[in-house]
Parts: sequence; C-alpha cells; structure tokens
Amino acid sequence: MDQRQPTPPQWSTRFLSWFLKKEYLEDILGDLQEEHQLRGMDTNWLKAKRWYNWQILKLFRPSMMKKFKTQNTIEKETSMLRNYLKIGLRNLWKYKTGTFINVIGLSSGLAAFVLIALFIQDEYRYDRHFENAEDIYRVTVKNYERSGNISRHWAFASAGHAERLKTDYANILHATRIMPGATPDLIVQDKRFPEEEVVFASQDIFKIFNFPFIEGNAENAFEGLYSLVLTRSSAAKLFGDDWQEKRVIGHQVVMAQDNNSIPFTITGIMEDMPEQQHFHFSYLAPIRFLEQILDEGTMNNVGGNYNWLTYIQTAPGTSMPQLQEHINEEFWDKYMGKLSTGEEARMFYDFEFQPILDIHLTSNLESEIETNGSIQQVYIFSIIGILLLLVACVNYMNIATSHYSRRMKEVGIRKVIGAFKSSLVKQFLTESTLITVISFPLSLLLIQWVLPYLNRFMGKTLIFNPAAQSDLLGLLLVLLIFVSILAGLYPALFLSRINLVKALKGEKVINTSRWNFRSWLVTFQYAVTISLIFAILVIEGQMQYIKKSDPGYEREYVLRVDIPRNSMSDTYKNELLSHPNVMKASYSSRIPTGRLADNWRTRFVKGDSAETINFRLPMISVDPDFLDTYAIDLIAGENFRENKMTVLDGNTTVPGQYIINESAAKALGFIDASEIIGEELVYGSTKGPIIGVMEDFHFESLHSQIVPMLLMFHDDFRHISLKIGTKDIPATLAHIEDTYAMFDAETTVRYHFVDELFDEQYQKEERLSTMIKVFALIAILIGCLGLIGMVGFIIETKVKEIGVRKVLGASSQNIWMLIGNQFLVLAGIAFLLALPISYWLLNGWLNEFVYRIDISVLTIIAPVIVTILLTFLVTSYQTLRATRVNPVAYLKDE
Amino acid sequence: MKEYPLGEFEEIVLLTVAILHGEAYGVSIKQEIETRLGRDVSVSALQTALRRLEKKAYLKSEFGEATAMRGGKRKRFFQVTKTGKTALDHAKETRMKLWAAMPDVKFEYARIWIKDNQPLHNGLPDS
Repeated sequence: MDQRQPTPPQWSTRFLSWFLKKEYLEDILGDLQEEHQLRGMDTNWLKAKRWYNWQILKLFRPSMMKKFKTQNTIEKETSMLRNYLKIGLRNLWKYKTGTFINVIGLSSGLAAFVLIALFIQDEYRYDRHFENAEDIYRVTVKNYERSGNISRHWAFASAGHAERLKTDYANILHATRIMPGATPDLIVQDKRFPEEEVVFASQDIFKIFNFPFIEGNAENAFEGLYSLVLTRSSAAKLFGDDWQEKRVIGHQVVMAQDNNSIPFTITGIMEDMPEQQHFHFSYLAPIRFLEQILDEGTMNNVGGNYNWLTYIQTAPGTSMPQLQEHINEEFWDKYMGKLSTGEEARMFYDFEFQPILDIHLTSNLESEIETNGSIQQVYIFSIIGILLLLVACVNYMNIATSHYSRRMKEVGIRKVIGAFKSSLVKQFLTESTLITVISFPLSLLLIQWVLPYLNRFMGKTLIFNPAAQSDLLGLLLVLLIFVSILAGLYPALFLSRINLVKALKGEKVINTSRWNFRSWLVTFQYAVTISLIFAILVIEGQMQYIKKSDPGYEREYVLRVDIPRNSMSDTYKNELLSHPNVMKASYSSRIPTGRLADNWRTRFVKGDSAETINFRLPMISVDPDFLDTYAIDLIAGENFRENKMTVLDGNTTVPGQYIINESAAKALGFIDASEIIGEELVYGSTKGPIIGVMEDFHFESLHSQIVPMLLMFHDDFRHISLKIGTKDIPATLAHIEDTYAMFDAETTVRYHFVDELFDEQYQKEERLSTMIKVFALIAILIGCLGLIGMVGFIIETKVKEIGVRKVLGASSQNIWMLIGNQFLVLAGIAFLLALPISYWLLNGWLNEFVYRIDISVLTIIAPVIVTILLTFLVTSYQTLRATRVNPVAYLKDE
Repeated sequence: MKEYPLGEFEEIVLLTVAILHGEAYGVSIKQEIETRLGRDVSVSALQTALRRLEKKAYLKSEFGEATAMRGGKRKRFFQVTKTGKTALDHAKETRMKLWAAMPDVKFEYARIWIKDNQPLHNGLPDS
C-alpha cells in the first residue's frame, strides 16, 4: 500500500476552518489529522478519509461554532439598544414639558391621520361589493346645444334605452331600467304605511347586481307581475321585528295610490343595501307592472324624459371607450334619425357610460339618485391628514433640536469614548421611536373617543378595530415606523454632527445663522396654519352667502306638514287657518328645497301639431295659494282660479292650465314672458294654455342652475305649507298637531321648518366646514406648542447677543423686534408659498357652486395677520423674560 | 451533586485524563477510552466534553509540541485541576454511599409485555 502520507480531505478541512471556533482550530485539526494518518496506515485511506469527514460533520454543532459577524453585530446592537432606551427614557422624564408637548402633538397628528384614512377608505369602497363591479356602467345621457356645448348631462336615461342597448350590442350582457320615485301607500293586514318609496326595475337588475337574498332568490323574484321584494328593514317595518318567524313570503301587500289599490305578493327578502352604495332601495317590484299604467310611448321612448335609471353590464374585457364611441355613432341615427328641424339627432345626444365605481366620488349630474361624495373632498381631506401628521413631526423636530445645548456635553463625551456617528444617530432615533410608541396608545384612545362623533357627523358607520382589520393593523405599524424615523432623523443627524472640542468646552457648536433647515420647518408649520385659516374663511364665507341669499321664495317661518296623499281637504286647511298665528296655507305635491322629480312628457303646441320639447320640464302640483304662501311673484299672466282644478282621467287627455317659470319660458323660446301666455302645452295626459309665468326661484339648492319648471293645479298633494307669524310658536305648533289628530287619528303628524330643510341641502358643505375648522384647530394647537419650543431655542442661542445689545443701550422694544423679526419673515414667506396653492384649491371648490362668492383681498390677508397675532401671544411670555435679562449674568458665562 | 456537577461521559473523560497524567491530549485520550472501555468515541463528543470540563475549571490545558503527522499543528495537553480532583472524589463518594445503602435482596427481571399480553420472562432463578 501507498506509504505516502496523503493530506486529509481538503474540503472538510476548509469547512472546519470556516465554522470552528478559532481557539480550537489548531489542536482539533491537528488531532484529526494525526488520527487520520494513523487510521490510514492501519486500515486504508478511504476509510480514514471517511472517518475524517464524518468526524468533522459531527463537530458541526453550536458549542463548537464561532461567533459569526452578524451574530456579533446583533449582540452588539442589542446591548447598545438597552443603553439607548435607558438614556432615552431618562431624557424623556427629565424634560417633561418637551415630552408632553410632543406626545400631545404626535398623538393628535396620528389620530387625525388614521381617522381620515378610515374615512377615505370608506369613500373608495362604495359599490365595490358588487361581484361584477368592474363591468357595471350607468347609462347617462348628454344633451348638446347647437353650438356644440353640453347643455345637460343626465344621470338617468330614457325608457327605451336599456332594452335596445342590450339587444343591439353583443358586448352588453345585461341591461336594466329602474323607475324610482313611486310613493304609494302600502297596506299590510289593515295597517297602512303611507308613502313608501317603491322602485320598479326590470328583471336584469338581479343579474347585474348580486343582491344577497335572505329569503327567496333572484331567479324567481320577479316571476309574477305583482311581485314585491323587500329588504330586511322594510320587512321589519311592515311585519314587525319578528318577521323572520312569520312566513312573509307569499304574504299580500296592497299598493294604493290615487284611488287605485292593487295587491302584490311578496316573493323575496334581500339584505339591506349597505351604506357604501350609491343607491338604496327598500322595495322592489317588476317594471312590467308599469306597462299597464303608462302608455306605450312613455315606456319606450328614446329621447327626452330622462326618468329611467339605467345600468348595463358588459362582457369582461370590453373596452368601454371603443364601445361607447361605437354606440354613439350608431344608436341615435338608428332610433332617432333626424329631428323635425332636419338636423341629425346624433349631434344633440350622446351616451356616456359611467363606470359604477366612479359614481360616488366623481359624479354630479342632473338629478343624481342620492347626493354623492366628492373626490375633491377626498383630496382635501387626504392632504389635510398628511399635513397634520407632518406638522406634528415637524414640531418634534423643532423641539428636539431647539434644546440641543442640553445634550451637547453628553454627545461630546460619547464621541470621545469612541461612538460612531451612526451610534449617535441610532440613539436619537431610539428616542424618537420611544416618544412615538408612547404617543400611540394615546392616539388610539383619541380615535376611539372621537369616532362616534365623526360617524354621526359624517353620517357614516366607520369602525376602528385593528384586531379585526388586518390592513388597519398594518397601517398602524407602518405609521409607527414611518413617524419615528421621519420625526427623529433630522434631530438625530443634527445632534450627532458637532464639533467635539467645542462641545466639551461648552461653546456654540451649531451654525446658528439666520436661515437654516429649522427655519424651513417653522415656515412649513406657518404655511399649513395659514392655509387652513384661509380655507375656513372661504368656506364660511360661501356658507354665509348661501344662508343669506334669497332663493326667491319665503322660507322663514314656513312649515311643511306631511300629509298622506290626498287625504286632506279644504276643511282641514280652513281649520288650520282658524288659528290667529297661521296666516297662509297651501297644498302642494312638493315644496322648494325638495327635488323636482316628477316629469311628464311635454309637447309644445304649434298650430296643428305638438312638438316634443328637448329639455326637461318637471312639475309640481299646487293649489292657488301656493304662490302667495311662498311669496313668489308672477311676472306675467295670472294665478290659478279656485274652481278650475285639473282632474286627470286615466289615459284620456283632459284640459289643463299651467304656470311656468321664466327659465321655462326662455327655454321654449320666449324672451318676453308675457308673450307665452296663451300658448298651449300638452303635458302628460293634459292639454291646455299657459296662464301665467312666475319669477325664477331656486327650487333645488344653489348647487344647480335654476331649472325650468311647471305648476299645475291638480290634487296630487303630499304636503301642506303653512306660513305662520312670529308670535307664540309653541301654541301654534300645538294647534297644528291637534288639528292633524282631528283629521287623521292613525298616523302622527310630521312637519319641518322650511328654513331647516333649506340648510340641510348644504349639509355636505357644513360638514366640510366643520371638519376643516377642527383640523385647523389641531394644527394651530400643535403649531403653538411648537412655537414655544422654537422661541426658547432662539432665545437660548441669542442670549449673548441680547446681553451685548442691552449693554449697548437697546430698549426692550428693540429686543422684541430682534426676536420677533425672525418670525415675521418666516410667516411672510410661508404666506407667499401657501397662498397660491390654497387659492387654487379653494377656487376649484367654489366652482362646484353655480352661485358663489368671490375671494376678497381681505380674505387673503386675514390669515397671515391672525397667524402673526397668535405668534405674538404665544411667545410673549418668553420674549418678555428675554428682554428683562440681566446682561451681566450672560456675558459672564464665557 | 450540585456543587460539583459532572456528567457521566465527562466523568470518564476526566478520569482518563487523570490516568494519562500529563500525556493527555485529544488523540491519546480518545484511544485510551476506546481501548479501556471498548466503546467508540467521536471527536466531537470528546472535544465538547473537554471544553466543558475546562470551562468548569476541572481541567486546564496548554499547548505542547507540533509534529509532522499533525501537519505542523501543536497538541493541546489537558491536566486535571485540584477542583477536578475534588469533583471526581465527590462523585466517587456519592456512588459508594448509594451502593452501601442497597439492601441484600433478590432482583427480578422486569416483566416485558408483548403481543397477547403474555409475559416473556417469568423471573429467572436467583443469581
């Protein structure tokens, strides 16, 4: 056998050298090698090699392994961390005020941010729960004028659109048309529920929207012509809270309206539609039913009469822009051809298919089903949320760096001992993390506390439960890390960058020249404050403008009493008027501040023919006292006469009379209102002359233009409006309640003050206004706290300068100016920066109103002045102390 | 037992080092155990025990000579310390005490239950 002495296997050796503790390597390796030789000579080398490798493998165990670099680093860092924590906590406790200010600031900022995040998340969630949400579109129609400009954009479509779209285009899988707005009384087992809103829809509604059914199912829901689908709440309303124990399906519900009563059968119960949806229905019935009531023309027309809420569902992957363009090119030609004027209909109409997910935030068309949110509000809130958080962080930065002199000795010594700059940075970051961690529980408490108010205020049901909502938990963690680093980085870098010798000597070590990063921080805070104050002024200004504006009708001391349809008579009216404080009374179907929802097919009579008008002319039914009660003037013609009421008669056309408003007259082509008197209209199933023209007034809110409208004296009354005097309101209200009870013992009286209803129209703006006020307050609070810290810093650094100046004869005033000047400059710069952006944003917001204020110069300047005043107030105490300084004390300190 | 913790294998290693008296290093200790006791010892088990014993201060070590067979690497020689000796004595004493306390009784083999609950052994004649 080979007596050569081969070397032991190289790889194993290398392996061993790599992992084994350095101290052991020599002798263990030696032992292995020796025995390897012995074995090799004893048996054979292969066996020896095998033994060698095996032994090394067995040596690969924790007690034999060396400490790897990462392990080392981890140990090092962990022990350092303990030190940082100790020092950090000690510092926090030592400088309690600073800590206090920071904790308040950070927790407010965090709370505000999270709440806003919750709100925004909710807003984006609208309509997302529908399975096919990506493919669902709402059919909206645009009307153009001859000039090519858009005259109107309707959120509803015409009756005949849905079916035709579905049939003609393979990419449109389902289409449904929905007719909301019917308010019959519902009678269940002798109990009458007045004016419940029943929505009629075509079968496809269940295909497009996957409403969950509690009882019954979507396929059979509309099998019968007289089917009725309820929701959880409407079932509870009709049958009591224990409805689930009764077999509600199959039960009969009678719909009664206008002397017609028709029994319907309940075929299904759906879950309540969630809040995060842009429409809500409680009762659903098949639209085929309407075919019996409305005529063929109404049910099938393709132009005008935008009363049918229409949705389509496309095949997945369909390119909507292409489809839309294609449809717009074909549809109008095919179904409308040319107008009577010879022009192509296509030029005046366009479809726009709105993705359903866009509706809640961006849609603001004519007669939206419900008031939508607005993406602008979302933007504004997100910006504010971020800003508040930043303000809190900036505050921390300021305070942390402003009292740097306290830490200088400590930092100096650490550096001498040999701390790396990175260690110092880590130390200060630990401190900022500590404060953030402390602020967290407080902010969670704040959130929990504020949330119910926020929910009530915004009309939402937001929940804050990090345990259940994992994405929320994630957000909180990210926030924690982000804020700690963001807030702590600058102070960390700042404090670790000092000149060693100077620090230990106690000299000034930082560049304290006039302009540096800290100044930017203060400027930032000023900018945020100024912007918020500016926003408040603008929004409040607009709100006041609206409140004080004259909508064209009387709303002070006017009551709207709801009455079951057509149940009350002249006797009731007279009885009410018998009270000395009830001055005027009028029946109507709707009142100003309501919606103009009833719209019948209108044709303008010209000679022998009647031409359908190309704009929407909604109507309300009134009695002759309406104009007087609401103090609306007639500018031409005359009012309705007591005895000349229009009585409808099924489908035959009856004679009628109409009063229209100025805008209607203009839209019909008559600039001079008096000239339209006598012209005839065919409205729905009535025909007759226009007997009067009333002045324009804002029936709906100032968000929209004044629309043409029509009044008809026809007994479809749902309200009685009462103008009362100012004396003895409680007695008047009591009288109204008693009178109602006299005439209707079953239901309780419901009434509202019209000026309250008026204000409710601007609920969205009111909310925005309040929110911004709250945010501004928070920002100002944090800012003021920060200012206190800031001033302290400036004074500290300028102490010698102040001393010298005083010696040279400076007055207190001069010292004031010295310190105050800095802030003035910063505020000025903040103003210049903040203003353009805020102006632009708020101008955009104002443009959502058709009637808006202009932003005055005063509004622009006021925020700065307020901010400066605030600054003075806040810093006066410290500045005063500075001016009283005894120069000797500070000059001695060399 | 508490003041002088000593595992079973550690005791053997310690005794062997004492036996080898100045000649104890990795390879020699290993061979001694294997020869005397007839059991295989892996390098890792031995080395672990040695280091542990050293940490417990029962052993001390120092470098010795290098040889060509070891590729020029020095040997590490171990010696039992006074503490180590005390530990050994303590262990021995403890054992002796227990042995002395044992009564003079017959021992039975334990019953081993297999399959159908039939015992394998039924006790063997007294040894």
